[in-house]
Amino acid sequence: MGKVVVPLIALKNGETAIVVSVDGGLGAGRRRGGRGLERRLIDMGLTPGTKVTVVKSAPLHGPIEVIVRGSRLALGRGVAERILVEVERDG
Amino acid sequence: MAERRLRVALAGNANVGKSVIFNYLTGLHQHIGNWPGKTVEKAEGTLHFKGYTIDIIDLPGIYSLSTYSIEEQVTREYILHEKPDVVINVVDASILERNLYFTLQLMEMEVPMVLALNQMDMARRKGIEINVEGLEKILGIPVIPTIAVKGVGIFKLLERAVEVAEKKESGKAAAVYFGREIEERISRLIELIEGVGCRYPPRYVAIRLLEGDEELEREVAEISPDIVEAAKRFSKEIEAIHGHSCPTVISAERYEAAGRIAREVQRITPPVRLRFEERLHNLTTHKVAGYIAMIFLLISIFYAVFTVGGYISDLLNSVFYSVEEPLYSFLGSGAFGRLTWSVVEGVIAGVTIALPYITPFYVILYLLEDSGYLSRVAFLMDSIMHKMGLHGKAFIPIMLGYGCNVPACLGCRIMETQRERMLAVFATTLVPCAARTVIILGLVGRYLGVEWALALYAFNLSVIFALGRLAFKALPGEPTALIMEMHDYRLPHLKTILKQTWFRLLEFMKIAFPLIVFGSFSIKVMEVFGLIEPIALALSPITASWLGLPPATGIALIFGVLRKELTLIMLAALLGTTDFTALPGFGPTQMITFTIVSMFYIPCISTIAALVKEIGWRSALLITVFEIAFAIALGGIAYRLLAALHYLGVFRLAERELLSFPKSISLSP
Repeated sequence: MGKVVVPLIALKNGETAIVVSVDGGLGAGRRRGGRGLERRLIDMGLTPGTKVTVVKSAPLHGPIEVIVRGSRLALGRGVAERILVEVERDG
Repeated sequence: MAERRLRVALAGNANVGKSVIFNYLTGLHQHIGNWPGKTVEKAEGTLHFKGYTIDIIDLPGIYSLSTYSIEEQVTREYILHEKPDVVINVVDASILERNLYFTLQLMEMEVPMVLALNQMDMARRKGIEINVEGLEKILGIPVIPTIAVKGVGIFKLLERAVEVAEKKESGKAAAVYFGREIEERISRLIELIEGVGCRYPPRYVAIRLLEGDEELEREVAEISPDIVEAAKRFSKEIEAIHGHSCPTVISAERYEAAGRIAREVQRITPPVRLRFEERLHNLTTHKVAGYIAMIFLLISIFYAVFTVGGYISDLLNSVFYSVEEPLYSFLGSGAFGRLTWSVVEGVIAGVTIALPYITPFYVILYLLEDSGYLSRVAFLMDSIMHKMGLHGKAFIPIMLGYGCNVPACLGCRIMETQRERMLAVFATTLVPCAARTVIILGLVGRYLGVEWALALYAFNLSVIFALGRLAFKALPGEPTALIMEMHDYRLPHLKTILKQTWFRLLEFMKIAFPLIVFGSFSIKVMEVFGLIEPIALALSPITASWLGLPPATGIALIFGVLRKELTLIMLAALLGTTDFTALPGFGPTQMITFTIVSMFYIPCISTIAALVKEIGWRSALLITVFEIAFAIALGGIAYRLLAALHYLGVFRLAERELLSFPKSISLSP
């Protein structure tokens, strides 16, 4: 068992992890408005250090359903890819 | 004693029952409009209470005050500049932590506040007990438990709000909840700010500067650029300590504080069995059952809206037509009579077409939204809607657009950002509504066969996808991303919904009726003064040369702006026959071309009115002009391609009976 950092989208249904960071944009080629996305996620409670549980995902590469701070959120896949979380995994 | 006036603002997250409280307090004394220069809805009302005249304003439902969206900007500007006497912060007792985050932000603004701890019944069902006195002590403001849908606690809430407004006491805003390294820097900034003086609370300004609030930065820089520089330096230092950007650290610590307070005052004993709401959630978001339930529900809704609408529309129609003859002969057939008649006709068109469909649509939209089902549909449909540059929430308006574009455009207000709303209304206006279906089926379906009609629908859908994507690329701003709360299912409050529907109808009519009347009037003026023929002739370079249509079709298309279903009737009248097959120069090629143009040029004048209400004049005009140009361009290309196909002998006219038209608004004799 060890801790690994993965994007939120990589979690299995029912898995719980800790938010490490929210990547607003993509490195140097930062898209305009990337900070807005980060801001929105933070305002919804996805701050570093927060526990997040993945409930399920919608079919056809749909959004994922997560529980954060006692409330249920739907996050689009593109959004979930940018949230890095720390999770316990085998070797 | 003169009557005293107070201004009370309702603020809080979305879906916490704010509008229920607003409607409970104001009853029918309310007004729905837009914030000046914005497309955000503004709900105001008045009530009389213990010798006070209280103006209540329902601020938009938001999750934060970090000025990400227009709604957040509107709220912040109102609180900072208009300075209400008291802010009632409505919170959902069943999701205390998230709601308190917003409460803390409000308290930083140091406004007089009371907290309405709403949906206490829902919290109890979730096994949450809240120590109200404890919360009052920690926050330093009155906390009143309420169940708005039952009216519980509202009287007391108002009483305490008035007390606070009189005393002008604000919350314990100085409460320290950030880490030491942040608080130290806040204190130093406060000193600097107090040194130069600022019209906002110094602590608020200090926090916001650290959070990188651009608007405040500009304002403060005018007084003292040094302060902004210092804030930027501090912000960098904090970033170096924590390894995250300063705004993130501040929000995180604020959230932690909200969490600490919530844990301190609430005791949770989760129910052993899965609650009904949860089971319903699991079913309606299930990967198979969820879609089945959705299709079933949406078909029922579609059917309900358009049967109820159709029924009311017919009923109103028959009422109007019984007075049509006497009124028409009363007005006489002179120029004056005919012009007056056009105004009457415009009003009739507005009343019989738009309203019967808008009313049930509004009711259902609010039912879906308040109950929480809308967010589940958005969850299920997000991936498909993404293909046209939209997210899941846009599915409902687009689907309803197949019935009527007007309510569908109005429904786009559920989109959060201005950009998403623009994209959604744009896609919606391209959806063939019932009136355009009449043209597609009545012309192409009847004479060329159903497969051609279906092909046109498929073509339309692909154009929507393509244009949606293009618009998505072209419009600057946030990438479309779904970040949406799915609150627990709950029974919607019918009285609130009916009031919301009624006041929004009034608002819509104020915009739409003058437009509709003006439209019918000006077309009638052209007719009375014999301008129709010259205009058709003037348009012939477009209609005849570019589109390959008989010049008379130009007139039909102009009339179609008023009502699309008129187009076909007009065409019959103009071409002097209802058997379109018998016409030389109006073969299958022309039929399809004509239908394509009708399908894409601006839906109708009522839709334009709806666009104006939702996205403002400029954008509405832009969409209108674009769609007209696009329809003409597309029609011309289609005509040339089809002509080539025709030459190859692809088409065969179906042998059908003569067209018979449904009775509709008659064309003037």
